[in-house]
Amino acid sequence: MDRPGRINRFLEQRYNMEAVRGFVDKQIHKRLPPHTGWLHVFGSLSLFLFISQTITGILLLIYYRPTPKEAHESIKYITADVQFGWLYRQIHAWGASVMIAAVVLHMVRTFFWGAYKKPRELTWVTGVLIFIVTITFGFTGYLLPWNQIAFWATTVGTESANKVPVIGDWLQYFLRGGDAVTGETLSRFFVVHVIILPWVLTGLVAIHLFLMRANNLSTLEPVGEERPMDPAKGIPFYPVHVAKEGVVIVLLLAVLVALSVLSPWEIGEPADPLETPEHIKPEWYFLPSYQLLKYFQGPYGAVIGVFAVSLPFVFLFFWPFIDRTKERHPKKRPLSVAIGLFALSSALVLGILGYYSGKQVTLFGQRYRVTELGWLEPAANEAHPERPAKSEPALIIPGE
Amino acid sequence: MKESPVTSSIEEQPSRRTFLDALIACCSAVAAVALAAPAGLYLWPAAKGGGGEKAEVEGAKSLPVGGSKMVQLGAEAVILVRQREGFAAFSAVCTHLGCLVKWNTEKGQFICPCHAAAFGPDGEVLGGPPPSPLPRLKVQEAGDKVYVSKT
Repeated sequence: MDRPGRINRFLEQRYNMEAVRGFVDKQIHKRLPPHTGWLHVFGSLSLFLFISQTITGILLLIYYRPTPKEAHESIKYITADVQFGWLYRQIHAWGASVMIAAVVLHMVRTFFWGAYKKPRELTWVTGVLIFIVTITFGFTGYLLPWNQIAFWATTVGTESANKVPVIGDWLQYFLRGGDAVTGETLSRFFVVHVIILPWVLTGLVAIHLFLMRANNLSTLEPVGEERPMDPAKGIPFYPVHVAKEGVVIVLLLAVLVALSVLSPWEIGEPADPLETPEHIKPEWYFLPSYQLLKYFQGPYGAVIGVFAVSLPFVFLFFWPFIDRTKERHPKKRPLSVAIGLFALSSALVLGILGYYSGKQVTLFGQRYRVTELGWLEPAANEAHPERPAKSEPALIIPGE
Repeated sequence: MKESPVTSSIEEQPSRRTFLDALIACCSAVAAVALAAPAGLYLWPAAKGGGGEKAEVEGAKSLPVGGSKMVQLGAEAVILVRQREGFAAFSAVCTHLGCLVKWNTEKGQFICPCHAAAFGPDGEVLGGPPPSPLPRLKVQEAGDKVYVSKT
């Protein structure tokens, strides 16, 4: 008897392999709705990126040291001395941003296709939780290199915690492990990033996938009018949709490697608690919140600002229970689509304003300074315009 | 057939099973609290004692008027400025979101590099998003040494 046959016989004598094979077969050959296409790959892409982050994260863990004295040095060691350490570090750093983008795109597709509606509300709710955990991954991981940008981004981020009414001071003290960002903060963020969040996300993803498979992918038919799918018309998950996902994953890997080589993340200067660098900005996924916070000023501004920044997440979480209309097709629910487009464009505008705030730009031949609130004012010294720093290219509109 | 009073009163009382279920639930809850409480206390940051009452600002006497120096007082950054009237010390932590302010000699203001907050030489908010002024600290001169303290 050949080896595969022997292994199968060994397993069959001990376990109900017919049930296992039946389950796997059913999942692999499940039929998806006919409209399932390239826009339905972002969920699998997000899952792939989570696996990639886990693997590269484990590799980095071997050499990373989570103390203020050694963290920055260990990153330098990984980048300069460990074989392919630079590659794994870059893939991990870029992978974080790409994963957040993939999750957002997946949510956007789900939103506009109305796939969050009954009976898939809980799938959406677990998806929102996955989104929040993914952003928290980014926030906690950002501190670990212990460079200037990491230190001060975390200082500002955790400072916002004390604006929460009643429990704010305790919350900030707990998050930081003390009054200021120190080695205690680094320890806590390390544990959260490396142990707690991976398990939480694994659990959420497992529930999310189970719920998704239980209901199958949504069609574009109205709620309550979904017809049982004709298997002859459905798209087989394997090999058709798996092939599409495979193509996208290979492209994604190529993009990650290209970014790692062509636009590597800097190691930066070691954290200095006595020097805040000029013009520090958070990562792109925090820019909309960063900019929005600036519009709430005065003694209660920060408190109101923190609530304003939290509101989108609350709306996202409860959205399937707010939008109870039956239609799924985007053309048949203009109000939801308008709200979605408004939210996306607001986030985009705030993000752009956040990026350019404090910088000088050239518009139609005139030099302007973008204020912190996003207004344009003539640049202070027009006789000798500042050359933009290499890492902060000015926006130049043709006309100069 | 009428139900006997004895039977009906036995059925109304909780059964042994119900009592045991409740007892197990209570014991489990107590055990969970007994395990969770020390873990919760463990997670609460331990207070770091000492080192935060007074700090010497080295080289303060050699600062020119309008010059400034940053020093660590416990966990907090403090900025000392030599003004015409003498030394003034403030918490360097911007009251908006925690970045450290710098003294701008030309403008005679503390400027926060994060969101362009501006504080006057007395720590009062002149512009930007901060909700409150910079806390003032006490300055003590003893010979050629200058100390800052919170009280």
